[in-house]
Amino acid sequence: MATGLLRGLLLRAPRRLLAAAGGAGRGALGLQQQQRRGKKFWLRAYLEQQRLRAPATRRSEKPNWDYHAEIQAFSHRLHETFSLDLLKTAFVNSCYIKSEETRRQELGLDKEAVALNLQDNHKLSEQGVSLSRSYLTHCFEDAYPKMPSEGIRALVDFLTSQELVSYVARNLSIQDLTLCAEFPVPPSVLQKTFFAVIGALFESSGHQKTGIFIRDFLIPQLIGKDLFEIWDVINPMGLLVEELAKRNISAPEPRLTRQSGASTVLPLYFVGLYCDKKLIAEGPGETVLAAEEEATRVALRKLYGYTENRQPWDYSKPREGWRAEKAISSS
Amino acid sequence: MTARGTASRYLGSVLRNGLGRYVCQLQRLSLAFSPGGQTSRGARGYIEEKVLDFAKQNPGVVVYVTPQKCRSPTVVAEYLNGAVREEIIADKTVAEITQLVQKLANQSGLEIIRIRKPFHTDNPSIQGQWNPFTNKPSTLPGQSLRRLEQQPNKV
Repeated sequence: MATGLLRGLLLRAPRRLLAAAGGAGRGALGLQQQQRRGKKFWLRAYLEQQRLRAPATRRSEKPNWDYHAEIQAFSHRLHETFSLDLLKTAFVNSCYIKSEETRRQELGLDKEAVALNLQDNHKLSEQGVSLSRSYLTHCFEDAYPKMPSEGIRALVDFLTSQELVSYVARNLSIQDLTLCAEFPVPPSVLQKTFFAVIGALFESSGHQKTGIFIRDFLIPQLIGKDLFEIWDVINPMGLLVEELAKRNISAPEPRLTRQSGASTVLPLYFVGLYCDKKLIAEGPGETVLAAEEEATRVALRKLYGYTENRQPWDYSKPREGWRAEKAISSS
Repeated sequence: MTARGTASRYLGSVLRNGLGRYVCQLQRLSLAFSPGGQTSRGARGYIEEKVLDFAKQNPGVVVYVTPQKCRSPTVVAEYLNGAVREEIIADKTVAEITQLVQKLANQSGLEIIRIRKPFHTDNPSIQGQWNPFTNKPSTLPGQSLRRLEQQPNKV
């Protein structure tokens, strides 16, 4: 009601003003309209629409792109010293060389002129993968000595997975520098390029720096992740029984410790696991079986030293004693 | 519009920057100015006096300088996470432009919108989700009953 009144007032007000002003007012209005016509209000909206509709282009095809300067800035940005030739090689993918050569052939160049004298990053990438895998394995073995090898492998697999590595690479803007046939750059190529950068870093700065690089950019991604989010254990009870048998502890005995609302839609059960009449873990669940599984997972986390309240990762000191040469030769 | 209606985000950083090492998130800075325009006076002054110092201090930032006929000189900042910010530096003094460029270099490239709280955690509760047994005595009901039964016998 009130808004309706207001609108009515607002609509009427200019008319009344115009009537009071008379001829002069009309003249002013005419001038205003002319100015309005000169100012193309639609143009800005139209250009914005066109900009949004245009297909995405590579950064290298847009103005202001100096590849050499960008590569140099990349190494300075990460506070690392790369040899620039190696770093440039790390960004060259084999698909780019192939597509570039076919493009040159289509343009009708000679065979000699067609060949690009470029090396692709396959070798560096393989080196980077083996390096980062061995370094991460070594790190986790140091940090979680009670963790079995399958768990450590799961952690390393997670950190070197295509999804995670391509995410890291995209946030380091590696996709702009990568020479790749396709656009946007597929995650598999990004992953390969990121590992090639690690390989190039190892070639130019040595294993200590490479280790710190891997630690600084990959290990923070573990924050907020639960162990069993990363490591898919299908039968946790079987694993727990095995682990306890290894430590000469009797098999766990699940007992219902607490329950509430068993006949409602939101039942709650607490199951405790007892070994030699001592409570080792307790977990909640909506059914007794779910609660038992949760309790088993809690017990496993405690056994492996990967509980939620574990100490945060220490980024201050570099890990010593890690020999990359040995790691490479063994893998 | 009220605060609830505006866009907002949590406090965060790109790739947990600074946990391992600090990476300057500004990757590219393009300055476009007019070689003779009145509005570009400050921009020309900045390019003459300050831009080399900035490039030396921030080797991780690629600086492009483009003289072109334009009414409003601009600074375009591109960040590592793909964000692009364009700032118009028409009629600004050298000191103002220096300050603006430094601000752009210090930013992370995340959206500049209201931040809900000046702190953020992925685990908001240490105690955990509430359940009917939260803040209840941890001893089992059976044990406490037994203790009660035993007490009269002792007396």
